[in-house]
Amino acid sequence: MLNMVSLFLISIPVGFLGALTGLGGASILVPLLVLLGIPVKEAIASCMVAIIATSSGSASSYARKGITNVKVAFYLEMFTTVGAIMGATITTLIAPVYLYFFFAGFLLTSFLKSGEEVKDDWATPEYQDKLSRWLDLHGSYFDEAKRNLIEYKVQSALLGGLGMLIAGLAAGMLGIGAGAFKVTVQESILKLPPKVSSTTSNFIIGMTALAGTSVYFFSGLLNLTLMAPMVVGTTLGAVAGGRVLNKLGNRTLRILFYAIVVFLIAQMLYKGVTSI
Amino acid sequence: MNSGDRFDRAIGYVLITGVVISLLVEAIGILLYYLSYRHFNISEERALFIHGRNFFDFVIELLHGGTMGKKAVFLMSLGVVILVLTPYVRVLMSVLYFAWEKNTKYILITLFVLVLLTISLAVQ
Repeated sequence: MLNMVSLFLISIPVGFLGALTGLGGASILVPLLVLLGIPVKEAIASCMVAIIATSSGSASSYARKGITNVKVAFYLEMFTTVGAIMGATITTLIAPVYLYFFFAGFLLTSFLKSGEEVKDDWATPEYQDKLSRWLDLHGSYFDEAKRNLIEYKVQSALLGGLGMLIAGLAAGMLGIGAGAFKVTVQESILKLPPKVSSTTSNFIIGMTALAGTSVYFFSGLLNLTLMAPMVVGTTLGAVAGGRVLNKLGNRTLRILFYAIVVFLIAQMLYKGVTSI
Repeated sequence: MNSGDRFDRAIGYVLITGVVISLLVEAIGILLYYLSYRHFNISEERALFIHGRNFFDFVIELLHGGTMGKKAVFLMSLGVVILVLTPYVRVLMSVLYFAWEKNTKYILITLFVLVLLTISLAVQ
């Protein structure tokens, strides 16, 4: 029987694995809650609130270190917040059965990022388009591993914004951070350096989750007894996960990532098919 | 340290402060819930769902003690409110920072997000 203590205890390893694999706690927790008998819309709404805590908690230290490009973040938040409000509104209106399939479908996009090998030969684009220049999106950060200041330019601001609209839509609709998708957009379209991309995405996720929450707040889906233990548990887990992240080998992480994603997709598809 | 770095740091501190306070309030709320109900069950009771007209009304009602009789429910709701306000305060600060920097482009960009969120929190 799921109660607040067991949910708290489940949320800790979920937050831990979410941070470790880059999937995010909510992508794991929504299917898990559904498996444990929680209605899918309630699971989505509660996870949206929990994301504000996990994302803001980790975004804090990166922002203080100056790795996050806050201008890029502010610009992209215009798109993700609009997307999230639209997505959350859709979720409150549609039949739950669609959500299982959308969820499983969106999880497939997490393979986009992990399919590539980890690139170390990142180089800043020579050319910067008009909009990116007008928005002053270029930036610099101090790379601790390379021990020097890295300066970079940003490309295709408009296309990147549209990509983020889709990321926000999926995030608001499914109660997840959609971090892997955001990172892919920022690295392949905007050409942000990997470190800047992952920390900036984390920063944006908190605001996107707030936009989604603003819709869910009074939809009658936010159960306090569900939310309270989840918020505390996933955040504690995520903080711990962030700390051991650099100590694990890439291969171990990759296998763990695939195993979890395949399980989650299977679980959501099963639930979807059996509830038709 | 330039004003941009200071701004990044200030945002970082706002975020971590909001999250830590919210988590503490939630944890105390869970303990009080146990002390008043003597169980940790996840309840489907309507009283344990957030309800009301909109976010700002909800906060005002919460501060007046209003419909929330039990302290546990009050604290768990308060924790969520603090959590929601954390990124909200972050946008608010950003608008003020760019206003002080006289950076019109970014005043408009951050103001867009602030107005959008305010409307979304204020209507139902």
